[in-house]
Amino acid sequence: MGVDWNSFLEGFTTAMSFQNLMFIILGGLLGTIVGMLPGLGPATAVAVLIPITFGMDSTSALVLLGAIYYGAMYGGSRSSILLNTPGDGSAIAATFDGYPMTRKGQAGQALTLATIASLIGGTIAIVGFVFLAKPLANFALQFGPAEYFFLLLFTLSAVVSLAKGNMIKGFVSMMLGLLITTIGIDSQSGVYRYTFDVPHLSEGVDFLVVIIGIYAVGEVLYNILLLNDDSQRIKESVGKIWITKEQWKRSFWPMIRQSPVGFLIGILPGAGGSIASMISYSTEQQISKKSEEFGKGAPEGLAAPESSNNAAAVGAFIPLLTMGIPGSGTTAVILGALIMLGLQPGPMLFQNQPEVAWTFINSLFIGNIALVIMNILLIGFLIKILKTPPRVLYPIILVLAFIGTYTLGYSIVDFAILMIFGVIGLFMKILNIPTAPLILAIIIGHQLEQNFRMASVSYDSIFGMMTASPIAILFAVLTVLSVFLPMLLGRLSRVKVDNKG
Amino acid sequence: MEIIRFIVPSIILIISVIYLILTFNLPESKVGNPTAAMNYPLLIGFSLLGLSILYLLSEIKDKKKAFTAFKIFADKELTIKVIVVLVFCLGYTLLFERIGFLISTTLFLGALLFLINGKRKWLVNVIVAVVFSFSAWYTFSELLSVSLP
Repeated sequence: MGVDWNSFLEGFTTAMSFQNLMFIILGGLLGTIVGMLPGLGPATAVAVLIPITFGMDSTSALVLLGAIYYGAMYGGSRSSILLNTPGDGSAIAATFDGYPMTRKGQAGQALTLATIASLIGGTIAIVGFVFLAKPLANFALQFGPAEYFFLLLFTLSAVVSLAKGNMIKGFVSMMLGLLITTIGIDSQSGVYRYTFDVPHLSEGVDFLVVIIGIYAVGEVLYNILLLNDDSQRIKESVGKIWITKEQWKRSFWPMIRQSPVGFLIGILPGAGGSIASMISYSTEQQISKKSEEFGKGAPEGLAAPESSNNAAAVGAFIPLLTMGIPGSGTTAVILGALIMLGLQPGPMLFQNQPEVAWTFINSLFIGNIALVIMNILLIGFLIKILKTPPRVLYPIILVLAFIGTYTLGYSIVDFAILMIFGVIGLFMKILNIPTAPLILAIIIGHQLEQNFRMASVSYDSIFGMMTASPIAILFAVLTVLSVFLPMLLGRLSRVKVDNKG
Repeated sequence: MEIIRFIVPSIILIISVIYLILTFNLPESKVGNPTAAMNYPLLIGFSLLGLSILYLLSEIKDKKKAFTAFKIFADKELTIKVIVVLVFCLGYTLLFERIGFLISTTLFLGALLFLINGKRKWLVNVIVAVVFSFSAWYTFSELLSVSLP
């Protein structure tokens, strides 16, 4: 098998070092706090907290960011369950049965159940990761520019077409992202593109500034508009914390079943936690003998999506670390952070710096356990944090966004870019234009262009690129399918409805 | 029919046209293929142009449906707050390098807190603004040795 046990064990010991354990706990806690804020999710948490990793060695920084990401997922399920406001797509399914449980006075039990489900999902997925990562990295080593170009293109189009909603808006968002990446000196010819004689722009627009602008400034501005909405306050008491035997019995098999499902969906580019948790929720609802209780506070209706989205979160790290392909807006933010730390995820990461990759994976596992302990022990404290008025936390996040931006490039030109993207993010949110394609495009856009140009030198036409190898053909076909299949299916279902009508 | 729904698609259309004009005026590359730096942007520019037209057409098709997205601005008080927040951000940008990190950040955070958290909780606001700014300054400039103005 392709498991590199030596590196695995080495990673485990590094992750268990005192310093890294501290980072895991700190990151988990910070991530939980930001993730718990209504409307803010893992992407915002990671984006705002990236600057605190400055000056650390890359392994510790990665461990800290992983913990923040994981903590924010836990925190996100907290605000879904207690407030009915998910922080990102993958936490939506947790509201279906989690919030009804809160309304029945079982908030404490719902939180514990979600925590256990996350642990089970995460653990099963990490086992899968250990066995799949190396073979996939070896597979990806065979990719040339043409293969990479179509893989990247497929990832982008999959993110657009798998996200529910308007495909046109999704592709507009993606193209805007790609457009932004063409700003700056062209690295191959030295031509200045769209810099308007601003020296700071010659290096291009820093994608982290765009990320912080959209996910931190934009989200905060949007949430300020909702400040008078009174639904976002906890009224009910938490109730018992320990789950009952019956709740455990009903949730056990759904958790075991849905974790591998989530993991496999997480590996697919573009799919990720939102789709994994939705699919898990609906399959459990269909096979359940008590399907009428779904949506009214069925424990398995909370446990299934929660285990599935955590498994997907781990699964998403496989394409991210082995091929440098992020599957969602949030993982794109992590990819951005990795690049900033000087790590280039891709097949070479497992060849050249296996210890970094394996320390990270092990820290996810340890972080999972640490978060369970924290979440159960600190449940009262965490709920107190949730009661700290967002009116104090939103200004702080805004200020953090500016400070973080400054530390990236030491230029106030970036402040202007930050504000512009904050406003763009606000309007995208209001108009329901998905932001994930833009973020993804901004991070992989440069790579997409370079691979496109290298491939167009080797093959004279797009058709030549497509038929470069079976892998290129496969991804090219998948790209076309991901664009047209949803449209076709939409047409078909409409025709059916018309026929019935 | 609400004209307002065409604003954003039109802006995107204009952006794509400007981008295409800029692309056609890019200088030629002195090494290798002279249009090498131009081809990929052209592909993006034309795709965005096409998409913005599709977006506009879809809004025209939906023109009879109610356009509710901008209802969020109906709460005048909060809309004004968002605008004031942006003005504060601009002020912070202008002052940041002139009067230094510590003072400008305290002022910025304080102003935001007074605006969003309210005047009545002035004590909390002042404490949070001072404590946060100082600890942020300490963390970045002393612990992480990031140079701040």
